[in-house]
Amino acid sequence: MIPFGFLDWFWLGAFLVLMVGSGIRFYRLGKRSESDFFLAGRGLPWWLPASSVYATHTATDTPMWVSGVVYRFGFSGLWYTFYAAWCAISAFVSTKIFRRSLAYTQAEWQSLRFGGLSGELLRGWVSGWQVFLNMFILGWVGIAMGKVCHYVFGWPPWIGLIVFSSACAFYVLAAGYWGVVMADFQQGIIAFIIIIIVSLKGVHAAGGPGAIIDKLSAMGETGRLNPFSFTGFFEGEFPVAWFITMLVIGILGGLGMGTAIDWYPEAQRIQSARTVKDASWSIWAGSALVMMRNAVWAAAILAFFVLYPDLENVKDYEMAWFRLGFEHLPVGMIGFFFAAIVAIHISTISTHLNLGAVYITRDLYHHYINPGASQAQLVWIGRVATLILLLGSFVFGSIMENITEWLIFALWIMAAGVWLPGILQVVWWRFNGWGYLTAWIFNLVFSWLVVWVLPAFEVIPHLRDYQQFWILMILGALVFIPVTFLTKPENMDRLVKFYAMSRPIGWWGPVKREAQRRGLI
Amino acid sequence: MDLLKKKWLPEHADTWTKEDTITIIISPIIYILLTIGCALSVLLIPLGFLLLFVGIVLLIVMVRLINPKLSAISENYEKKQKQYLEDLEKKVKWED
Repeated sequence: MIPFGFLDWFWLGAFLVLMVGSGIRFYRLGKRSESDFFLAGRGLPWWLPASSVYATHTATDTPMWVSGVVYRFGFSGLWYTFYAAWCAISAFVSTKIFRRSLAYTQAEWQSLRFGGLSGELLRGWVSGWQVFLNMFILGWVGIAMGKVCHYVFGWPPWIGLIVFSSACAFYVLAAGYWGVVMADFQQGIIAFIIIIIVSLKGVHAAGGPGAIIDKLSAMGETGRLNPFSFTGFFEGEFPVAWFITMLVIGILGGLGMGTAIDWYPEAQRIQSARTVKDASWSIWAGSALVMMRNAVWAAAILAFFVLYPDLENVKDYEMAWFRLGFEHLPVGMIGFFFAAIVAIHISTISTHLNLGAVYITRDLYHHYINPGASQAQLVWIGRVATLILLLGSFVFGSIMENITEWLIFALWIMAAGVWLPGILQVVWWRFNGWGYLTAWIFNLVFSWLVVWVLPAFEVIPHLRDYQQFWILMILGALVFIPVTFLTKPENMDRLVKFYAMSRPIGWWGPVKREAQRRGLI
Repeated sequence: MDLLKKKWLPEHADTWTKEDTITIIISPIIYILLTIGCALSVLLIPLGFLLLFVGIVLLIVMVRLINPKLSAISENYEKKQKQYLEDLEKKVKWED
């Protein structure tokens, strides 16, 4: 337990009032329409969604994860965080295309790109999957906060889970995305300041930059300073083949949509930007901040490694950054640090509450249940959906220890086999809804076989994660490409309309010629 | 200088050009330079400051290269956005 003085409680109270209060202030804007409640009326300058991208991806569990990989691998561990680099290309390719589609969500995009039954099945599937996924992420991040509260106050983890997620829900229920993005802006600033302060304090506690390098040298660990310190091309714990796979997944994935789990919150930020240009720069800048934040953390974790080099238990070294803060900040600053952790926490919680709610409201309720709903009804459904997600997250958070392994597997299988179809739907006109649907279904089957069943019966050896990725991609392509050619192309009227509006890149020759013939472009 | 074209006609801005190709090549490189440069700079390693500097220079080049094109695309698109939004609402209500 960490002792709290008056000043510490003051910081925490003041921050909570500031964060929750400023979110609620936007109540009047949020209740105006569905577009306001979920996209802030599509009128934000680039730096607001950018700060929201950064704040959302700075969660309570993020420093634990970065600490884990950097403590194990040194600066090479930074490549584990490099999946965010999909925005490097996406900002100038798929972000532009998605912003021009005007779809509220990735699910709605499916029914704009693909028509008929396959398009509707995809919309239903993606929205259902996203409701589940957001609830799961809320539980995951919420219980991480519970663990931090247990470390600081000795509370049972469920108290931290419920108290801070509920505090955040006040302004999400009141003001929707307006509240989320305005609170994210100030939370992002608070988080960035505390990350710099604690990390520099950690470096100082280890004797300063020179001493850290000298100590690493004395320990025979200077390789930890080299981000390209690999263990061979295929051999060892950190092979070049893994690195190349990560670069391919991360960077080339930016050509497509839905190629990373982060695509879904980013999609909402893209549509909330006031212009196509604002959308592009918001995604680029938000992810650049995420990368640099990881880098600052990494330096602090090397300092922690020098201070505590012999930790073997993951649960011990994953707390590295938190320990640097709680053990080395002076009295009175502990409360500031904890308040910043709360800011980090609720910026992520607020995003996923509102994001899950948009799928329930726009894709399930508005499109399938009540197409004639009024704007006031839709805002209220958005609030009810927010509440459902909050309650669901408490259930997920309370059982997280038992299901994490299965759900990480679920996340992995959703990423591996649909990575290539996620690109093809953007760059290839002939790729159709049945091909994409088949990719989702067969990916479920193949991933179970490749990751669990076949190794268990010793038909194939246990494969490394990067090997699984390539195998699942090839197996999926062997099914969804024939299915695409054996089924009809999408209706040309739909494709032409879609092309004229979104202007996708790649192999769209026949559609482009038809659009030109009709005088649409 | 042709490489840093400042004025774009809408029909040209909407086609893939060398500006797009250069941008998607240097953009990931900037991410890598900023990440590694930042990590090394916190430990006051000189290479880190050099990488950061190169990353910032490339960022300025990228902004000057692609921003005018993005502006032209945006301006042209926003003239049509209202109609597209009406179409989108018809679609969600099954009227299209």
